[in-house]
Amino acid sequence: MSNYKRASQPGRSSILSTLQATTMLDTKPVLPAEILVSILDFLPVSDQISFAKTSRRMKEMVYDDTRWVSRLVSMGCWDEAEARRRFEEAIKRKREAAERANAAAAGATPLAAKRTTLFDAGQEEERRKKLAEEAARAPEIRVDGFETLSLHASTKNSQEDPATILDIYKNVRSIRGYARQEYGKIYGALAPFYYDLAQAKSHTEPAVFKAFRDPEKQAQMLRNLQRFSQNDWAQGWNERGEVLTNMCNIFENAVLREFEQGYESWDVEGKMKRYAHVLHDLNGGNAAMDHPILNNRDALGNPMDCINQAPEDGITLEPSRAFFKTLAIKFNEQSAVISQIFPDAENVFWTLLDKVREDIIGEYITPILDESHDRNLEAYLKAASGLFEQCMAFVGSLDPPSKSKQSLETHAKDFGLKTFDLHLDLYLREELDFFTKYAEREVLNWEQKLSEQDASVESFYMGNFNRRAAKNDFLSSFKKVVMMPVTVLPTIPISSPFGSSKSTAAASGGNVRNSITGMPVASQTTPDVDGSLEPKTGPLPSEAPTDELKAKAALMANRLEGIKSLFSIEVALDLVGSAREGLGRIAVFIRLGGQAGEEAREQCEAIFITLLKILGQDHVKNGFVKAVDHLSKYKAREVSDHDQEGVAPLVTFIELVNVGDLISQMIDVFYEQQLAAPKISDRNDFLDPAGLAKKKWEQMLDESVAAGLNKGIDVLMDEVEYICATTQLPTDFNPPPASQEKGTQQDGDMGPTQTAIRVKDLVASHTNMLVGSTEKTMLDVFNGEVGLRLFTAVCKHLKRQRISTEGAMKLIADMTLYYEYIRGLKNQDLLAYFKALRELSQIYLIDAKHAKEMATIIADGDRFGGIFRAEEVYEYAERRADWYQVKRNVERAMYGMDCSVM
Amino acid sequence: MAASETTTIRLQSNDNHVMDVDKAVAERSLLIKNMLEDLGDAAASETIPIPNVTEPVLRKVIEWCEHHRGDPPATNEEESDTRKRTTEIEEWDQKFMQVDQEMLFEIILASNYLDIKPLLDVGCKTVANMIKGKSPEEIRKTFNITNDFTPEEEEQIRRENEWAEDR
Repeated sequence: MSNYKRASQPGRSSILSTLQATTMLDTKPVLPAEILVSILDFLPVSDQISFAKTSRRMKEMVYDDTRWVSRLVSMGCWDEAEARRRFEEAIKRKREAAERANAAAAGATPLAAKRTTLFDAGQEEERRKKLAEEAARAPEIRVDGFETLSLHASTKNSQEDPATILDIYKNVRSIRGYARQEYGKIYGALAPFYYDLAQAKSHTEPAVFKAFRDPEKQAQMLRNLQRFSQNDWAQGWNERGEVLTNMCNIFENAVLREFEQGYESWDVEGKMKRYAHVLHDLNGGNAAMDHPILNNRDALGNPMDCINQAPEDGITLEPSRAFFKTLAIKFNEQSAVISQIFPDAENVFWTLLDKVREDIIGEYITPILDESHDRNLEAYLKAASGLFEQCMAFVGSLDPPSKSKQSLETHAKDFGLKTFDLHLDLYLREELDFFTKYAEREVLNWEQKLSEQDASVESFYMGNFNRRAAKNDFLSSFKKVVMMPVTVLPTIPISSPFGSSKSTAAASGGNVRNSITGMPVASQTTPDVDGSLEPKTGPLPSEAPTDELKAKAALMANRLEGIKSLFSIEVALDLVGSAREGLGRIAVFIRLGGQAGEEAREQCEAIFITLLKILGQDHVKNGFVKAVDHLSKYKAREVSDHDQEGVAPLVTFIELVNVGDLISQMIDVFYEQQLAAPKISDRNDFLDPAGLAKKKWEQMLDESVAAGLNKGIDVLMDEVEYICATTQLPTDFNPPPASQEKGTQQDGDMGPTQTAIRVKDLVASHTNMLVGSTEKTMLDVFNGEVGLRLFTAVCKHLKRQRISTEGAMKLIADMTLYYEYIRGLKNQDLLAYFKALRELSQIYLIDAKHAKEMATIIADGDRFGGIFRAEEVYEYAERRADWYQVKRNVERAMYGMDCSVM
Repeated sequence: MAASETTTIRLQSNDNHVMDVDKAVAERSLLIKNMLEDLGDAAASETIPIPNVTEPVLRKVIEWCEHHRGDPPATNEEESDTRKRTTEIEEWDQKFMQVDQEMLFEIILASNYLDIKPLLDVGCKTVANMIKGKSPEEIRKTFNITNDFTPEEEEQIRRENEWAEDR
């Protein structure tokens, strides 16, 4: 096989001799051009040229430009764009020349025209010739130079020649039609060295090393030759390539040794710098990267410290922080050296960083994560997020050779991404799982507890404290905790702003904020999560508000004890808290950008959605369903004890609405702070899953409230009717005349009756409870409905009474009481009903003697604002105690008398 | 294609010699393979004429196909990379190609016609080896090329290509 390795033929095999021996004259078949072309492809360049010399046809075939262009392309020195530009220029020039010729022809005799064309063609010819000659001449010189070179390596000639050879690739032009000439230049310069090297047996032999003494130039030459070898595809190319590669390796090793010596003697400016440059010339300096790497790995820290030093099942990131700090210091030292010795310091720096990431950081992080994942999931989640944060801080603290900030940032992202590539998917999944499981467990636990003490629903209810103030107070502390990492709070919709409670909240908020800003920010490597991970480093900012919130929550829970049994603000708070922690952990990954960042963002939304789902579907909705259930089972008449203020299940329900509203506001604040503000979720994107989930949650809440209120009104009215029926004494509106009159008049003044007061209080207390807890429109609808039903109930009640003229005063007082109450609701439509009712009650005041006037009033539709028709008023008039006495007169006044006149 | 291993087909050379060949062997030729695929099983029993190839050449080609019947099928992409094709000729192929030049060219032509790429490559490589290191005059002799250059042209072409002169 080795026979074919070289262009020379020391032992041409027997095939050829036999072939030569054969006489072949006319019998020989002629091979078609396409086959000749493919044969040419297998030939080395020198033989191709010999082939070209045989005949015109062969020359044409060999000279074909594409053949040479492809060789230039394979060496990477053919610029198609440049070639096209040149080509177009040439065309343009030609066209211009033609135009000139035409112009000349137009004015000149045909002879002149002929001459110009002739001249033109001649010029073209001349130009080509000249170029060809040039192309031919240039290598000629070089070849000569080489010849002398290879024979006596240190002739004077070699001093200037090598320079052109070293830069040979830079001088190559891309011209169509002249690719062969350009290739010729390169070939002439490099091929001698190349084939000489391929034949060399040892590294001392090749002419390259003799012709060039400087290691820098040798490196450059080797590089050139490697490039040149790309276009060698004649037989034996792989052997030649191998020799070349071997030679390069030998050379590289020698340079590396020098470099190492320089490193040992710390000759940074001298040897190290020089050989780093040599390596860079050779192949970009990748080999040098292996060397100045940090070897004292043990000193950096044991990854298990993070787990072992931590309390049971926990994790502490203090050792890892120290690790990264040491690493950063060491690395920056390296960086300084690198920028001193390497010509392309930035690339080397990042390559080195890559290596460090793989070898040191990767090996540090992976065991921590694996171990903590096995031991405790929560610790794992904290570790992943914390380590990532530290990693980013580490890259941020690096001091790369180049000054551009942006490249550091992109590299930091890249770095983070690569470091956590393996862990990211698992982490994100675990985070969501962890949260979901946690939330579900909490809710379940709570429900179990509830079923254990199911019977105790009828316990205490809210006392007479200022409900809304308490709520607001609670909310503001919640907000403070949620917005902790963010200093300025955007406007958050608060349904009912209360000045007093807010001012105190703001004051305490100010304290907290001061304590945050007072903290030295720089010392905190992991700002948010740290608080819970390392209580020792940053106790103040995270603990104070958390405690405040806890205190408030406890207070709230105390007050809301009665409704605890249906759903609990504590559970909600707990869930929101843990969701926030998870979000905070994931959020650090979002800045990775790209796909990973997007995934992290989606996971954030997923956590939020899960939070809403569990909190909404499993917790709040269940509570409401139960409350409504309770409501529907309530029968006013079956409850023995009516002394307490309010209808028990309704109160429970309304309190639930309050708590639901509180949770909803909490969610809202949470959404604004954790998702909308850091741009995790777009508030204006109506397709955003988090936004959708939030809307769904609000809708669910509204629906539950609406359904409950519907039932609630029924129950309330039942209660009203029950009170009316049981407490209204017949004597209230129809006091017994004469004998006992004195006694009643003494204790009963002109005020409303007991029943009316109780009814009004009952209704008022229930409607008041809702104020501020649900949407205003819903509240209006509720109030309207309650008012209307109250009106019907009162009317019904009225028709059951018998009212004397004396009792009318009391009735009017009752009606005024209702009227005043309704006026407080600020509902004009509703007010009209009660106004009419008040007017109506006056018909009882009219003395029996004035039947005629009574008739006028009864017939006067305007008086009642269209609420009562005359017939209805007449019906009410029938309830007069003395109706049968006045009936005749009234009827006569209304119909009879007038008719008789007619 | 399990059945194809045993089936044989009939090839008829230019000079009316008929020979039986295993289908798998014959299918080294893409021409025959495609033809069989196009015509279906019915054609398998018919005699396939190979009009451009004489009997001795066809035998030689079939000999090569027999020897290489187990080779992995050539991938189409490799054609783009000239370097991959340019490997050394196997020893068996070298021996196989030790024929007179006329036969060599006939084999090349036949493999070109029958579309047997690896054989064509071997042939071309062999010819390339014949050319290697020869002077133009020797090449002319080998390939029966007449020199149609004027002396001036010859001088010019020599000057143009001094860079490539063999050393």
